[in-house]
Amino acid sequence: MSKPTKPLWQTPWGYAESFVIAFGLLLIGFLLEFTIQSNSGVSIKYPMNLILGAIFITFILVFYRLIRKSNLYHFLSGVPASVGAIAVLTLLVIIMGITPQVSMQEENLITRLSLNQLTTSWPFLFINLYLLVVLALVIVRKSFPFRLKNWGFVCSHLGLWITIFAAGLGSGDLMRLKMDLYTNKTEWKAYDNNGNYYELPLAIKLNDFLIEEFNPKLAVVENESGKLYEATKPSMIMIEDELECTLHDWNIKIDDFLVSSGRVGEKYHQMYDFGAAPAAKVSVAVNSSDTLSGWISCGSFNRPHESLKLDDNYSLLMTVPEPKKFSSKVTIFTPDGQKEEQVLEVNKPQSVNGWKIYQLSYDEKMGKYSNLSVVEVVKDPWQVYVYIGIFMMMIGAIYMFWRGNKVTISSEQ
Amino acid sequence: MIWNYFLMAAGVSSASWILSALIPKKDFIRNLLVLIGILSMAVYIGFLWNSLERPPLRTLGETRLWYSLFISIIGLITYYRWRYLWMLYYCLFMSLLFLFINYMHPENFSKTLMPALQSPWFVPHVVVYIISYAFLAASSLVAIYGLYQVKRERFDEKYMLVADNLVYLGFAFLTFGLLFGALWAKEAWGHYWTWDPKETWAFITWMGYLVYIHRRYQKPRKYVSALWILALAFVILLVCWFGVNYLPSAQFSVHTYSMQP
Ligand code: HEM
Repeated sequence: MSKPTKPLWQTPWGYAESFVIAFGLLLIGFLLEFTIQSNSGVSIKYPMNLILGAIFITFILVFYRLIRKSNLYHFLSGVPASVGAIAVLTLLVIIMGITPQVSMQEENLITRLSLNQLTTSWPFLFINLYLLVVLALVIVRKSFPFRLKNWGFVCSHLGLWITIFAAGLGSGDLMRLKMDLYTNKTEWKAYDNNGNYYELPLAIKLNDFLIEEFNPKLAVVENESGKLYEATKPSMIMIEDELECTLHDWNIKIDDFLVSSGRVGEKYHQMYDFGAAPAAKVSVAVNSSDTLSGWISCGSFNRPHESLKLDDNYSLLMTVPEPKKFSSKVTIFTPDGQKEEQVLEVNKPQSVNGWKIYQLSYDEKMGKYSNLSVVEVVKDPWQVYVYIGIFMMMIGAIYMFWRGNKVTISSEQ
Repeated sequence: MIWNYFLMAAGVSSASWILSALIPKKDFIRNLLVLIGILSMAVYIGFLWNSLERPPLRTLGETRLWYSLFISIIGLITYYRWRYLWMLYYCLFMSLLFLFINYMHPENFSKTLMPALQSPWFVPHVVVYIISYAFLAASSLVAIYGLYQVKRERFDEKYMLVADNLVYLGFAFLTFGLLFGALWAKEAWGHYWTWDPKETWAFITWMGYLVYIHRRYQKPRKYVSALWILALAFVILLVCWFGVNYLPSAQFSVHTYSMQP
């Protein structure tokens, strides 16, 4: 087993050279990042991305013509180079997976090297390009001459290549904008994260915004700090009519529960006006003989909330109800004079004129009385190509499942 | 009505699946029993769909029915192709577990999921991960056993073939999990991949097994390093599954709803 180790850079190249090259690229990337920081705000848009993509493919083809008879080609289209590229990319992604990826203000080594924003850094770009070159050469070598038995290989590898390539180039053309829709108003302007406004080739009128809510929950908080008391689990219990439950050490009974109510004098009454809030009358057994009883309410944007003091340290309160489902009834107008009625809901986007419209959020302070519905509009002209890549990878995966490991071909000398 | 029929369907499924485990000799009868259990689940879901007049995907209880159905189907297909009896039983066991959880918590049928999870992608995404992790966990057991045997100098190359096949199958499901996740994210939020910590670790896991597959393909004889890669890949997988929430990067994760599966 004890082979003498081959000196570095003596052909045929293997794992040592592969890792030296991949780490070398990483180092160059970080040096570049240190001197000229990559500007994460810049994205390459049409037609620049198309041109760059074409140049990249041409480069690979020319490169292939030049080296195809050399040892370099043999090396770059082989497993050691692949594993080196994959491993170093993985290393970079592990750093990403451990450190928080958020923009920071202060200047230090982390921000100088963009370790907090690796996806838009030079080293990340370099390793990805290297991986794409290697993968492309692998595919070329296995595909010419084409043999039918390699179809599974081609599906997974070419699919991956197309996915990375199309998603990478397409990211510059991806438009993700938000629109604030107010009830009964028509909106055609959308804004991005930096607050720039864009006019869209469509207009949306919000006819109605609807929220279904869960019932509010019972919770105990510490009087002094206002913090949720979590001595035992569950620390919150959903309120229902005539519920009797034990929360921590207190036995609580719901005597009356009003989903929509307002306080008049001593008690709450059922009400449906603007801002009406849930309320409940509760009795709490404090000890074997005493029961405390009173009204609690989570309040709303125009009603105060009310809690019940259990003792000097703790109070019982009602949490603000969480949304079960929210949706917007809208009319969408397009420049050609068409209009359509649609319902936008989370996970159920609508497509209009090449744009996809997603329900995003609403005014949470107003809760179900929100007259604002925030939608996201997305245009992604490269999506089809990414989907083609993903689809090919899926076929490759089915092939892998079906064939399993029947591989006995060995390139070991 | 819905509940009583659930008891009936779950009863038929449990009975036929448990029976199938008790009649290990006759392959045909076993397959038939597994199939009957699957059909009873399918018929019940069809009935539910029909009577609710919407796809039954909105509540926790409903999604678990789908888990049961798909896990058992995939288990049977895998068994049909690979004859891994343990995998069939693992799948049937997971199926029964989900049915049992539903039986214990009838209220789950009315507990709706948060809006972001009410998606047709949710079920396949979870199901393929459950199966993938089972295969990959099994492959890492082989790896540890293999390393132990290497130390005792009693290693047999056929362990490697077993490990490879488990990795290939597990990796195929892992790939599906990743891709379903990306498609779902695109449908729900408009972007495939945001490098959220959970996604980042899922990607690292995937790359780890990719290294193993290619290393094995190229140097089938060098099994010791391959075994170590396999063991390491599983450590990464465990980080992805359990550890992510404890990393500094996790404060910013969108995947922190702790209510699955
Ligand atoms: C979707 C992800 C991938 C999967 C499922 C995959 C799977 C495989 C499989 C199963 C083989 C064995 C060949 C066969 O069965 O015909 C193989 C070979 C190979 N793969 Fe991958 N791979 C993936 C990604 C990559 C990447 C990213 C690279 C490199 C950058 C790469 C480079 C190679 C190379 C060089 C070979 C050897 C080809 C040969 O010499 O025959 N693969 N891959």
